[in-house]
Amino acid sequence: MTVLEAVSLTKRFGPVTAVDGVSFSVGEGEIVGLLGPNGAGKTTTLHMILGLTTPDSGTIRMFGRDLAAHRTWALSRVNFAASYASLPWVLRVDELLDVFAHMYGLRNPRRQVTQLMELLDLGELRDRRYGQLSSGQQTRVQLAKSLLNEPGLLVLDEPTANLDPDVGDRMRELLLREAHRTGRAMLITSHNMPEVERMCSRIHFVSGGRIVATGSAAELAGAYGVDDLEAVFLRVARG
Amino acid sequence: MSDIVLDGWPARRRRIASVIRRDFFALRRDPPRMVDMAFWPTAELVLWGLVSMYMQQNQVHIAVAMLLGAVLLWQVMHRSQGEVAFGFLFDVWSRNLLNVFVSPLSTMEYVGGLVLASVVKVTATIGVMAALAFTFYGFGVFTIGPGLVPFMAVLMVMGWALGVVAIACVIRFGQSAQIVAFIMVFVFQPFAAVFYPLSVLPPAAQAVAALVPASHVFEGMRGVLAGGGVAWDRLAVAALLDLVYIAGALGLLLYSLRYARLKGKLSRFGS
Repeated sequence: MTVLEAVSLTKRFGPVTAVDGVSFSVGEGEIVGLLGPNGAGKTTTLHMILGLTTPDSGTIRMFGRDLAAHRTWALSRVNFAASYASLPWVLRVDELLDVFAHMYGLRNPRRQVTQLMELLDLGELRDRRYGQLSSGQQTRVQLAKSLLNEPGLLVLDEPTANLDPDVGDRMRELLLREAHRTGRAMLITSHNMPEVERMCSRIHFVSGGRIVATGSAAELAGAYGVDDLEAVFLRVARG
Repeated sequence: MSDIVLDGWPARRRRIASVIRRDFFALRRDPPRMVDMAFWPTAELVLWGLVSMYMQQNQVHIAVAMLLGAVLLWQVMHRSQGEVAFGFLFDVWSRNLLNVFVSPLSTMEYVGGLVLASVVKVTATIGVMAALAFTFYGFGVFTIGPGLVPFMAVLMVMGWALGVVAIACVIRFGQSAQIVAFIMVFVFQPFAAVFYPLSVLPPAAQAVAALVPASHVFEGMRGVLAGGGVAWDRLAVAALLDLVYIAGALGLLLYSLRYARLKGKLSRFGS
């Protein structure tokens, strides 16, 4: 089943074409990476998929339905976390998760919050304010928030950008384990090449608003005649 | 996933509740905001109470009722506008807006949640103020008579409309436009004729005031306190104007959101 289908997405901001005819899809259980240099159009693409930005042209279908026509339905089946999107600093961890459990219209908010606090080992932090947590702890809370509705599609924009290698590795492990357990699809952007190699079964390289290469990490390295994804990235970024 | 997520109205109610819960969780953890809710209305009440007592001593017999009634009702509108606008700004300041806008919460549900939370907070504030006015100055808010509830309702709706306009301005023009949330209600204050009769205003300003729902309420309140009955015709005009205001404000908000989505401005609230 196709979870996400983006067809010919284009977005211009004045004279700048941020996204230029991007098409790709994400299947059930698939983990897809969008890679590219800063300003390539990755975040704009993600924000169009999340309904934050309206494309100038092109269509987005989620779970078989048009996003523009079924926004509430589609977004209740998707979730999002990003290193740059914060949560209210004055709220306690349990309050934050309670608020978002309601925001996603969960049938049993309390049970789901309790389960996720166990899964992400947040029990000891439940009474702490979000603003008092370390970066790693905040990321765990953001991930808990992003898993609350058991999304069919999880969109992550540089999810481990602020984390030390140890915490980043734990988060990746957890995301992979959960994805395999639930059959969840994920769409990820990251500048951490080993992370992308480890997590993503398919990678789209974006440059100048266009997808310039697609494949698994090994396929891309082979196509560019280099050893790893980082070398592919440098080739693409430097033209 | 369909097992854990509600559909239809139950989901809608839960999403609206999320905004209210967020508001009260934040309020509980924010003593300065609680002080703000109580301090300024109380300070204004004390100030105008003393002024009115001075005037009463100088034979202006209904001064206490006129001024304190005006202060109380003004706070209904002022606070309603502020609570709605600052509920939204809380999400802007805490960089939480992206999380809100990528959730299934609709614009109307979000505004509905802000409005319902404001009703509770404004009612609490006005309750405290009314008790203080009675304790210190012997002014009972029920002196305003059967018009009290519809007067307050008209002022609340106008406050919500102005709050929604402030939200629309911030979405349209960015965070620097948040000043609108602080001053919007005061732009209308002279035309609302809160503390003086409409006849004091120059003719051109009176024409503007006729289009301001609050002016009909304050004029009506003075009429009641001067011994007349509730001017229901004025109240009906105010209610109709309220409908125009709220429809216009929601229209402006939807336009601003559409514009912000087209220009990619919502994304910038995350940075």
